[in-house]
Amino acid sequence: MSKIICSAAIRGAHKIVGTAETKCEDALKKWGPDQEIGFPNTTYYLPIIYGILGIPVKTLGDAKGVLDKCKKLLPAPVSDKVWLPYLAPALEAGMATFFAEEIIEAIRYLEEPDFYTKGEDPLPDNIWLGAADDVIMRKRGVEFVDGTAPGFAAILGAAPTKEIAVKIAIELQEKNLYVFMCSDHEGKTMSEQLIEAGVQIGWPTRLVSFGPSYTAAVFAMGFATRAAMSFGGIKPGDFAGNLRYNKDRIFAFAMPLGTVTDEWYANAAGAINWGFPTIADTPIPQVLPTGICTYEHVVSNVPHDQIVARAIEVRGLKVAISKVDIPMSYGPAFEGERIRKDDLYFECGGGRTLGVELTISKDMSEVEDGKIEMIGPDLDQIKEGDKLPFAALIEVAGRQMKPGFEPILERQIHHLINYVQGIMHIGQRSIMWIRVGKAAVEKGFLLKHLGKVIHAKYHQDFGNILDKVQIKIYTDEERVKEVLEMAKKLYKQRDERVEGMTDETEETYYSCTLCQSFAPSHVCVITPERTGMCGAYNWLDCEVSYEINPTGPNQPIEKGECIDPVLGQWKGITDFVFKASRQKIEQVSAYSLMNFPMTACGCFECVATILPLCNGIMIVNRNFMGMTPCGMKFTTLAGMVGGGNQTPGFLGVSKHYICSRKFLKAEGGLKRVVWLPKMLKEEIAERMEPICEEMGIPNFPEMIADDTIGTTEEEILPFLEEKGHPALTMDPLM
Amino acid sequence: MTIEIPKIAYAGKIKEIPLGRGENIITVGGESCCPFHLFEGAMPHPPKIAMEVYDRAPEDWPDTALEPFADVAGDPVAWARKCVDTYGAEMIALQLASTDPNAEDTPADEAAAITKKVSDAVEVPLFVFGSSSVDKDTEVLKAVCEACEGKNLIIGPLAEGNYRAIGATAIGYQHTVMASTPIDINLAKQLNILLGNLNVPDDKIIIDPTTGALGYGLEYCYSVMERIRTAALVQEDERLQFPIIANFAKEVWKTKEVRLSEMEAPLLGDQKKRGILIEAMTAQCVLLAGADILVMRHPEAINLVKESIQDLMIRGES
Ligand code: SF4
Repeated sequence: MSKIICSAAIRGAHKIVGTAETKCEDALKKWGPDQEIGFPNTTYYLPIIYGILGIPVKTLGDAKGVLDKCKKLLPAPVSDKVWLPYLAPALEAGMATFFAEEIIEAIRYLEEPDFYTKGEDPLPDNIWLGAADDVIMRKRGVEFVDGTAPGFAAILGAAPTKEIAVKIAIELQEKNLYVFMCSDHEGKTMSEQLIEAGVQIGWPTRLVSFGPSYTAAVFAMGFATRAAMSFGGIKPGDFAGNLRYNKDRIFAFAMPLGTVTDEWYANAAGAINWGFPTIADTPIPQVLPTGICTYEHVVSNVPHDQIVARAIEVRGLKVAISKVDIPMSYGPAFEGERIRKDDLYFECGGGRTLGVELTISKDMSEVEDGKIEMIGPDLDQIKEGDKLPFAALIEVAGRQMKPGFEPILERQIHHLINYVQGIMHIGQRSIMWIRVGKAAVEKGFLLKHLGKVIHAKYHQDFGNILDKVQIKIYTDEERVKEVLEMAKKLYKQRDERVEGMTDETEETYYSCTLCQSFAPSHVCVITPERTGMCGAYNWLDCEVSYEINPTGPNQPIEKGECIDPVLGQWKGITDFVFKASRQKIEQVSAYSLMNFPMTACGCFECVATILPLCNGIMIVNRNFMGMTPCGMKFTTLAGMVGGGNQTPGFLGVSKHYICSRKFLKAEGGLKRVVWLPKMLKEEIAERMEPICEEMGIPNFPEMIADDTIGTTEEEILPFLEEKGHPALTMDPLM
Repeated sequence: MTIEIPKIAYAGKIKEIPLGRGENIITVGGESCCPFHLFEGAMPHPPKIAMEVYDRAPEDWPDTALEPFADVAGDPVAWARKCVDTYGAEMIALQLASTDPNAEDTPADEAAAITKKVSDAVEVPLFVFGSSSVDKDTEVLKAVCEACEGKNLIIGPLAEGNYRAIGATAIGYQHTVMASTPIDINLAKQLNILLGNLNVPDDKIIIDPTTGALGYGLEYCYSVMERIRTAALVQEDERLQFPIIANFAKEVWKTKEVRLSEMEAPLLGDQKKRGILIEAMTAQCVLLAGADILVMRHPEAINLVKESIQDLMIRGES
């Protein structure tokens, strides 16, 4: 920690403890040690002292005892010559500060009983509310726990003008934060500024005028300390538990506006103990390294128009957006809507015009959350039937964001836009296609609104990995071309990255246990080269899903030592599956049909099974209704494979996995495949090509029989022989 | 020849949850064996029955169900007292059915006032159910929590969509919660994890896995309940080691089989007896699946089930 800050904080703490001592001595003389003191209507005594030290201060005598402890806690003032690690002493000084301030405030309650209003709202002749009683704390504390109010800003001092004060207050209110105000700067207080500007203050508007002195900061800290005891089950005196609860759950920060005095430094140092950083508008030294707080400790010299955004970022607060603010309805119900020619007002992409969608991640400083720019004409500037090129560039930033997540986020655009009533979206990347219906335009829909949709939904669905989203929508031909060029380069890089990712390059695989709801012992093991059998989850999806929901169905598994590279067995995987299958599955191979095959749930895209006569494997997809050479239709096969059982010779697979280099490696891979329904063969033809090239049999697809050749083994065998299918000469399958 | 009965030693144990307050606390849970496998472990607290009370006079009940309560319907306080005084109810389950936005949409403060009155009128543990409308329940149950501070009510359903708001309030006012999920073991576990993350204490959680009526998907509910219980006992799945509540009376008494009169369906036999038996049979099934608390309606069905529980709790020679 900065030496300047530390010495100032320690100096401040000495002053404050000194003041408390004097006040306490005077009071003792006047009232005696048995005089009761405390904050009104609370069972938490002086809450910081009670929460941290476990001491219930009931009398002046008790207060005296605590002050003696404070003095022991106070580190010696920092001398110029010594260079110590400053953080710890400064934090202790901060603690002593709060204890002393609570005592000062408690004595104030004793000496001036009407100094505070003791209610939820300010009175005409007294705006200072003082400590929240237990009723207020309980009622408001619930909001902190359930997330309707994520935390609070403790503001010390005043803004340079009342207009700036109002702007800061409103911005904080918009983020659902409470604003706890105390202290003055050059005789002005933020509370008074707000009142002057006609803003209603009090608990109901979340603008809480605690008190005119800096010592009223303890009302904010005491609130947080009590919340931990009341809602976190933290016992009085369990200081570590209390501080951790606050750091992890209460998104609070200190915002000193104006000259930071020694006393303010002392308070700020104290707040760091709770994990609450300080964001200042004056050029005080910064304390950036993270340690106690989630991110930085003290960030300074922040301009007023950025101070709220910066505070939220530093405290790691997630933005909650509950509603998609557009002029039409929004929801999954509208996903399947079609816009027909007659209803069409406008379309773009889809081969009609240039069209592209791109999501990229950027540095936190490069993205302004919620900024939506429209570059080129929007729908209100064109006529029905006009066409425009289209590019949507979505820039996201987040402390947890990784470039690897970009394609996953980008893929969401399709359904997110489809959820808008009256809009149809098809495809992705540079083959995207949007149709806007006449009804939507009548309701006032603009392309710009797509930005709002994406901004809101990205925050809602991916808040765990991103903090900021800004969107640029282009309909200007030149600019669209620029985006398209950039996108093409990125698409290429991404494809290469995914291609280059193999089961060998990754140490962590993922589980999926989503289907355990109906197949209790089923576990999908998802590796870079083997997607989940439903086709809906690949390795990257699982990684993101885990980041978003760490207790969810996709858990990382350290694959551990390799037991058999051909079968695809690893120690870590075996152990995990044994446990996750409730001890039913003792061994599992990722690459084998015959040897401990993976269990199947029921929602696999395809089933693979053996054809003994042809010494090969057939695969049938769910949509194929006809008979297959194994003598069973898909439905019958599905009944045999599913239910979370291991059935050697039968396997649920995704379409994607068929064209993987790891496809049934143990049985010889794609080369073993002797029969596919024609529809499936056509669907995967393009992706089969490179694999066939690698196998050295570029015309391999022609050797695979399909339903037009036959639907019994006897019918297809002559065909395979005629084509010289490699499976016929491979090792016997059984 | 003596026959050796095979025994399983269960590693897990269900948590014990105290319901209600003061001298009237009733503890549920604590099992260290499958239901009634007393030869394998202990069931320190036999399953309990909570008698239903409705906040409004029910309009769509068959007469056979309404008959015992005809004199108190519409007065939840009198109804609750009758359950306790006349029928010896061990617990009461107040169904705030009229708060349903699709029904009367009774406002939250009114529902809270009713609950408060009922909770003042009876000493036994009080379960309070909202209408299973995520948003409305949030309002209603938050108000109920506030109004009945410190009474340790058991409130629910807490669903994925509102567990935070209701859970947080329940913590603040010290009530117990029912974590409700739609017949799915994973979701049940997930919700319990989430409640734990929210800091709801472990001795304040009851699992409501959703229970249908006999003939209406009961077997599916049964197997989910059974799996929750075995996962808790055998696999030591810590987040599933909570007592289970089965709230099925309202399901039973709306089925066709219970509502058809003997005139309409002579083959089905006496209508009253039929309803009572279907309710009792449903209860019997979920008892065997692992339910700790049964929410029931008809006094005669309740008597049958109580007797059955007593019989099952007699520890035979092993
Ligand atoms: S089939 Fe899909 S959803 Fe089901 S467990 Fe496997 S990956 Fe998960």
